[in-house]
Amino acid sequence: MSRFDELIHAPTRLSLVSLLAATDWADFKFLRDSLGMSDSALSKQLTTLEEAGYLEIRKSFVGKRPRTSAQLTPEGHAAFAGHVAALQEIVARAGLAVIPDSA
Amino acid sequence: MGIPPIDAELALAEMQARRAQVVDSNLVPNWFWGAVAALMVLFTVAIESAIPWLIGAGTIAYVLGLAAVVVALVRTARVQVRSTLLGTRGILTILGFAGVLTAIGLALGFALDAADVAFPATLAMLPVAAGMAFGGPRLMSHLRALMLSRPLAGDR
Repeated sequence: MSRFDELIHAPTRLSLVSLLAATDWADFKFLRDSLGMSDSALSKQLTTLEEAGYLEIRKSFVGKRPRTSAQLTPEGHAAFAGHVAALQEIVARAGLAVIPDSA
Repeated sequence: MGIPPIDAELALAEMQARRAQVVDSNLVPNWFWGAVAALMVLFTVAIESAIPWLIGAGTIAYVLGLAAVVVALVRTARVQVRSTLLGTRGILTILGFAGVLTAIGLALGFALDAADVAFPATLAMLPVAAGMAFGGPRLMSHLRALMLSRPLAGDR
């Protein structure tokens, strides 16, 4: 079901959620380096999405090193899917090429 | 949802690019295949030598080497690609790759042994190792294309 999601569509969050949508989980550093963001800027975006119920932040240890990771919740995946469908509808209505959506 | 169609298309392209970024960072690196292939050959040579100290040293080197390779992979893992992107087809491809190499190794090994060729296991392991070293990266390329062809959203 298509639903344009203003929260996801903000440029930085679009990239962030797109990364997370392709993962089961992603390390904080991976997200930070991939997006070229500062720790504080990424934390702020993650918190916004977490408060919306779109993602879950986990803290664990690898050896003695703390590791923070994030993953989309089922609600986050559903919101992303709805946003993709909404974007594809907009593109299709305009007769532009749509990113392939079939395996 | 009053955004221009071109902006929607750019957003979809961004999503696809970010997926590619995740997939690329999650593929098993090429050095892994060569390292494992070399370890397998060395281990087989050691076992087939029938020299006790060489068997011991080869076994230790194999176990430690394999552990080091796996630990290196795990320690550098910073993202886990979504399992649904790989899907049943991807899993079957991986199992098929492993199955073909195993079948080649076993068939060739038994055939060489039956023909009384010296060092049959080592000789049989050579094409298997070559298959891993050269086939592994190709397997990764195939899986990459498969994962990027999946729909942007949903589990289809």
